[in-house]
Amino acid sequence: MTVNHDGTADEAERSLRLGRVRAAMAAAGLDALLAFAPAWRRENVRYFTDTRVAGTASLVLLTASEADGACAFSTRQADLDAIAARGWVTDAHPLSARSASALAERVGAARPARLGIAHYELLPQLLMSQLARALPRTEIVSATGLMDDVRLVKSDWEIARMRRAASVVDAGWAAFVDALKPGQPEHGIVAAVEAAIKGLGAEDNFMLIASGGDEVRGMTAPTPRVLRAGDMVRTELTPQLDGYWLQICRSAVVGTASDAQRRSFDLFNEAVEAGIAAVHPGVTAHEVARAQNDVFRARGLGEYCTSQYTRVRGHGHGLHIDETPIIEGNETELPENAVFIVHPNTYTPIAGYHVLGDPVLVTRDGAEVLISTERKLFEGAVR
Amino acid sequence: MKRGLVVFDPAEIPAEEWHGRVAAVQRELEAEGTDVALIYGDVSRSDDIAYLTNLCVYWNEGILAVPAHGDPVFLTKLSPRVHPWMRLISTVTEIRSGRGFAELVAKFLGSADGGTVGLIEADLWPAAVADDIRQALAGWDVRPLGGLVRALRQVPSPAEVALLRHAGTALERAAACATAAGLTDSERIAVAERGLRGDGFLDVLAEVARTADGVASVRITGQYRYLWLHASRVADTGTAAWPGLLRQAIALAVTATVPGATTADLGQAARPVLGQLPAGVTSDVRWVNHADMATSGEYADYPSSLPIPAGSVVVVGIDARFPGGTHATAAETVLALASGPVCLTGQPGTAGIGKPGGAGSGRHAR
Repeated sequence: MTVNHDGTADEAERSLRLGRVRAAMAAAGLDALLAFAPAWRRENVRYFTDTRVAGTASLVLLTASEADGACAFSTRQADLDAIAARGWVTDAHPLSARSASALAERVGAARPARLGIAHYELLPQLLMSQLARALPRTEIVSATGLMDDVRLVKSDWEIARMRRAASVVDAGWAAFVDALKPGQPEHGIVAAVEAAIKGLGAEDNFMLIASGGDEVRGMTAPTPRVLRAGDMVRTELTPQLDGYWLQICRSAVVGTASDAQRRSFDLFNEAVEAGIAAVHPGVTAHEVARAQNDVFRARGLGEYCTSQYTRVRGHGHGLHIDETPIIEGNETELPENAVFIVHPNTYTPIAGYHVLGDPVLVTRDGAEVLISTERKLFEGAVR
Repeated sequence: MKRGLVVFDPAEIPAEEWHGRVAAVQRELEAEGTDVALIYGDVSRSDDIAYLTNLCVYWNEGILAVPAHGDPVFLTKLSPRVHPWMRLISTVTEIRSGRGFAELVAKFLGSADGGTVGLIEADLWPAAVADDIRQALAGWDVRPLGGLVRALRQVPSPAEVALLRHAGTALERAAACATAAGLTDSERIAVAERGLRGDGFLDVLAEVARTADGVASVRITGQYRYLWLHASRVADTGTAAWPGLLRQAIALAVTATVPGATTADLGQAARPVLGQLPAGVTSDVRWVNHADMATSGEYADYPSSLPIPAGSVVVVGIDARFPGGTHATAAETVLALASGPVCLTGQPGTAGIGKPGGAGSGRHAR
């Protein structure tokens, strides 16, 4: 399920991205930027190439000069062919992690006085040392935050892709509910969800799960635990389509929900609604988090908004799963066309860990929920 | 993404074996005069940590500290809320959470007057993390160590071979379903995901690539517990003749996968058939130890003269690159025994004992 855009729109998007990055580079005083992608953080290389790379290490070099095109490197030949076929970066070279002389020479040829590396914090010593040798007079700094900021605001082109991802999210949740039945192991639910969303073209998925009663304190990777009637099954499910991740958070009961489970849902739903109601262009992550936490505090449940019981009140989405954290104290402004999930997921004594949340787009007037799945406490049939 | 089953089953690998693995590392540390080894892992590459503890770094990063004497300790930026689960699925009893690794390591080492800290496979560590740790450990000698744990993982134990055989059967079954006629590319991936996740695989990476003539290559990499397997098969072959050649070539390469064989030997075995591929097609024959499959061998040295270790499990693969940059692949996971190769992923027609051919390049071009 690839979103097709005509060539004009594609070229406009590519130019928009290069322009945004170069403007950010100028503001940061960078002569060159190197986007590094280890296997688990490929968002910046994808931003430049619009290609699903698979190599253990891949990079894109961009200089401040508009006369220079971007240049890509990967440890996998098939990546280079795919990048060239997509055409956003036409200059692509193989990379040997053990001897990255081609990369070092190419960066060295740009003679940057100041080089920013996106995911500097993850660049392996063997690549860093080769770059440092090739650039003895270059100041090398992190450009991770720079690229995070650039990607924060989505273009119309990107939002179109994220809307398509939303349809896969909805289908994934439907498959999740359909798989709930006594005797089903947690990893069997994951298998059913994966099959459903991959059949719709999802590239990947991040998913945590927990099942049981009010003893559940958080979610993990699936266990062999089998479902029983009355269990509440919680998940955050995050398919990736055409590069873009989008998450849904829901809880469902195997059979009929108890009064406590319903009260828990009502509490969390109120918190989600409060979080979404707080959204407007320029709202801070702190303000969105506070709006959710205040719902718990008003009921004397404020302690369950602390790190002892929970992590974040949501987080940004895009070419990475987990971007700007929505937490109190984070004063990052969320501008129009930013995308993030509002999820007050936490433990309370009411019914244990509860998971509920929707991804939203910041609009001129407030927020638009991107998925269609109803926000309710789902109840699965006992079969 | 590691979102499949994570389980710790003492019946699969006995406690003595887990203890023995840590003890083997500790003997190396003592021999090298190192007080503590630090092993870095992230969600994409943490098999050293899993080998010693069964811990699954399902997200983010982590460091396992292995003292020369005493039990390993896991250092993580994840919340303490996940500690109970981590203890449940691993041999680790002590887990410490914090905001940064340098702070965690410094606190772990405590008020000791100094000593020697070794960074296992230091050149693969994020340079920034290693630098922060060096700065935080004033008075300590922080030195690079080689791939001590990777070396131990090169040849699986009998318990691991049993797990690999079990997983290979599941992968064979999934690959057969995923290459059935009449499926779309997405359906092939979905079939593989459903089968392998349902069989308890931790990670599944399934993809389909097509050549210009429409032939599909279905590539499935799976991680069962912490052990990796891979199979690539062609499907939707239509009237094209070359897929049959690719199947023959991988069968020959598998047959040549015996202890001591090199990439050159595997290439030599497959060459007579690969030489018949259409004009303009280039092909590479290679093997990767299953212990390196988290990175498909891309962070390891695999010179063409490197011999396959006896008793190892390796992925033997052929990548055929067509004019225009499309690729077709065939690959199997093979146990290299002196008595002959055992194809764990069960490609038909590869049973039997093969002898390595003479020296030669693994690369062929037509």
